[in-house]
Amino acid sequence: MDANRLSQGQLVAAVSAIALFIISFLPWFGAPEVSGIGPGGASVTVGGNFSLWEAENPLDIYLLIVILVALVPVVLTFAGRRGDAPLAPFATTLLAGVGTFLILYQVFDNPGDLDRKIGLFLGLIACAGIAIGGYLTMQDEIGGERY
Amino acid sequence: MIGRLSQGQLIAAIGAVVLVVAMFLPWVGVSGPSVPAGITLPEGVGGGGSTSDNVWQGSTLDVYLLVTVIVAAIPALLALTDSAEEFSFVSAATFLLGVVGVILVAAFLTVDFPDGADRKIGAFIGLVAVIAIAFGGFRAMQEEDAADI
Repeated sequence: MDANRLSQGQLVAAVSAIALFIISFLPWFGAPEVSGIGPGGASVTVGGNFSLWEAENPLDIYLLIVILVALVPVVLTFAGRRGDAPLAPFATTLLAGVGTFLILYQVFDNPGDLDRKIGLFLGLIACAGIAIGGYLTMQDEIGGERY
Repeated sequence: MIGRLSQGQLIAAIGAVVLVVAMFLPWVGVSGPSVPAGITLPEGVGGGGSTSDNVWQGSTLDVYLLVTVIVAAIPALLALTDSAEEFSFVSAATFLLGVVGVILVAAFLTVDFPDGADRKIGAFIGLVAVIAIAFGGFRAMQEEDAADI
């Protein structure tokens, strides 16, 4: 695989998308741990840290869509079908931009007043990276059409 | 004013209005045993029976759907204000946000739905509304392409 075949914007979006996927498994939210005795006398602990996938939030599905859309141009480029997805840079910019806004909203208004963990902030940066990468790709394509 | 809108833009705008209304209808209901008549519960204790929540008491779905509504309604708002501005990317954005909205609402109704809760009318009207927004956006894109040719 030759990464030089990718434009700078595509590379930024792809690296950010892979980073976001890895970050999604880090703790995003946390709740204070409370221990108690459950039915049958067994010790039960409630709370702890939640990754993006464990938190009850549609943000996980949304960000998975953003990651897949950001990786589409990379996959097509390596498959030698670079021009097959003309809408991809715009879709990447739009969906990642909205995703950045949704994560930012979670920073200020998180569900159930849970603690904000490192994954939430790293996810915000990675999603913004995807949006910037998509925007740079759009600019590259506009420049390519012009000259 | 509205005559300036294409058929696709009109469908998306109607979908946006319906979605706003649906967002205030009940989406999730929890049924429980109701308290028999004549029994008074202490203050602060829930009275049982059924409760329902709309999408605003949920998660980030409300913010996402609000963004979708705003984008889908932009052409109609511009037409209503007699604005000469036209944004070429709005139809594609409406289509994309609508399609992702359909996926999110469908996922909410299936895999993400709270255990033991009931699906209420608002969620189904919301699903139909985002499908209309996605279709309206797609139709508006086609109409723009035809106009370019």
